[in-house]
Amino acid sequence: MYRYPRWPIHLALVGVSLLMLIPFYWVLKTSVTGENIFAYPPSILPKSPHPFYYVDVWYYIPFARYFLNSVVVSAIAVIANVVFNAMAGYALTRDFPAKPFVLLLFLSCMMVPFQATIIPAYLITGRLGLLDSYWGLALPQFSTIVCIFVFKASFDAVPRSLIDAARIDGLSEWRIIWRVMMPLAKGAIATNVILAFIWSWNNFLWPLIVTRSADMQTLPLGLARFLSYQEDTTGALYAFCIMVLAPGILLFLLAQNEFIRGLTSGATKG
Amino acid sequence: MTIAPAVANRPYRLARKRTRQAVLVWCFLAPSLAVFLLYRILPLLWNVVLSFTAWSPLRPMRWAGLDQYEEMLHDDVFWHSLWNTLIFIASAPVGIVIALGLALLVSSDIRGRDVYRTIIFISYPLMTVAVAIIWRWLFDERVGLINYIARSLDLVDRPIQFLNSFVWALPSVIVANIWQMLGFYMIILLTGLQNIPPNLYEAAAIDGANAPRRFWRVTLPLLKPSLFLCFVIGMLNSFTSFDLVYVMTGGGPGRATELLVTYIYKLGFSQTRFDYAASVTIVFFVLLVGITWAANRLSGGNAGAVEKD
Repeated sequence: MYRYPRWPIHLALVGVSLLMLIPFYWVLKTSVTGENIFAYPPSILPKSPHPFYYVDVWYYIPFARYFLNSVVVSAIAVIANVVFNAMAGYALTRDFPAKPFVLLLFLSCMMVPFQATIIPAYLITGRLGLLDSYWGLALPQFSTIVCIFVFKASFDAVPRSLIDAARIDGLSEWRIIWRVMMPLAKGAIATNVILAFIWSWNNFLWPLIVTRSADMQTLPLGLARFLSYQEDTTGALYAFCIMVLAPGILLFLLAQNEFIRGLTSGATKG
Repeated sequence: MTIAPAVANRPYRLARKRTRQAVLVWCFLAPSLAVFLLYRILPLLWNVVLSFTAWSPLRPMRWAGLDQYEEMLHDDVFWHSLWNTLIFIASAPVGIVIALGLALLVSSDIRGRDVYRTIIFISYPLMTVAVAIIWRWLFDERVGLINYIARSLDLVDRPIQFLNSFVWALPSVIVANIWQMLGFYMIILLTGLQNIPPNLYEAAAIDGANAPRRFWRVTLPLLKPSLFLCFVIGMLNSFTSFDLVYVMTGGGPGRATELLVTYIYKLGFSQTRFDYAASVTIVFFVLLVGITWAANRLSGGNAGAVEKD
């Protein structure tokens, strides 16, 4: 409609894209050569790349153990998240006397950042006897308010007549959720799975507080520990970075739209 | 004869059905509510109680009144981390303005806009610890890329020790934070831009409004809810930015990058001063709620609603 030259826009966006991508490139390059660590001036293209730093990672630290811990904690958190949020979201589609109170409670909980609860959260987890365990690591992430509202919006869109029909056919409420509602809420499930996974996978502060033994540490903790032991003088650190970042980037590229939908739908709710 | 009992039972049955419904609703809500009560509401109350007592795992609990708060008044580290946190928050609008420019560029009908969107957004979902390590190293004084570029362009004659200098440490961490948050702001603003009805622009164009006027009079007012949301989330992010600071500088050099969150963590888990950490947390939380409330008031108190005019 409005005619204007396109190349300045492309120029600006390419510039910004480079700013976003160069840090990745630099890390990737160092993880296969290690030359920037010692050499100055650094070379722009990798000379004689080799995979040895990736091998080093396996010797320096129990990478497999960290990875396993991260996967187990994330899996627990994701499964609990989807089940609990779907149940709560379904309950919120109904009318019941205390509903305004529950909504208010949820919205005010949104205002309490996790960082403002660390001291008592640690003490509570201690009382529950869950310090230094998978359950203790995952428990605070068992339910997220944003995702409850994502499920509620998705369930609200299901026609009433369908639910009534299911009820007349004699399905219990429990089965209505799992047999009727959930198959219709695939988008909400995908959104919730991705958000819960990313949050749990990247979480650093809580594992830092709760874990004691090296056996229970997750990847972000392993990364921070590796940094403090080795300082930044080995390419293995950057190889480790790439190994940790890769799953997140892959998942994000595969499910970008669900992820963005989750963020913006949680966002527009205010 | 056979119908009568059924009719007589109806109110009773209805009531029973309603009770069963209510029980069901509460059963469905119970797990989530339990998690939130246990890890949001209870900690908040516990913090309040702890902040008025003198307690640590090795000592019995003792009522301390306002002692903790009084100590805070004379605690230089507390004031320093409060100040740093406020600077960190003040940096959020910078990121939002850059993101607004990017969102406007990406929303124009150019080829490859989805690719640009993905590239700009990709830093947001990444593990912050890894991002911190990457930036720590870009800022490195010996072989960091930033110093290399600055030296190649003759901007500086001696490498700057970004993360070890009292002047540069906090700005460096802020740059890394903006780098990570930029894509997120852009996505929110992009959604806001897409929700502006295109016929408003057409009407404005017919009325003779040029592009800058259309931006100030149509785009910006209608984008206000999205901008407010960006600010709230950006502020929350700055307030709670623990990972980045902890890994990049650990609060140092000295206390140059100490934020309230990192100070609370250190008080609680390196110095085992849970009581004092709790009272700092209370101040932290009150400040957070206060700023959000003020931002909401400033934005007209109707963030999320479409502008009426």
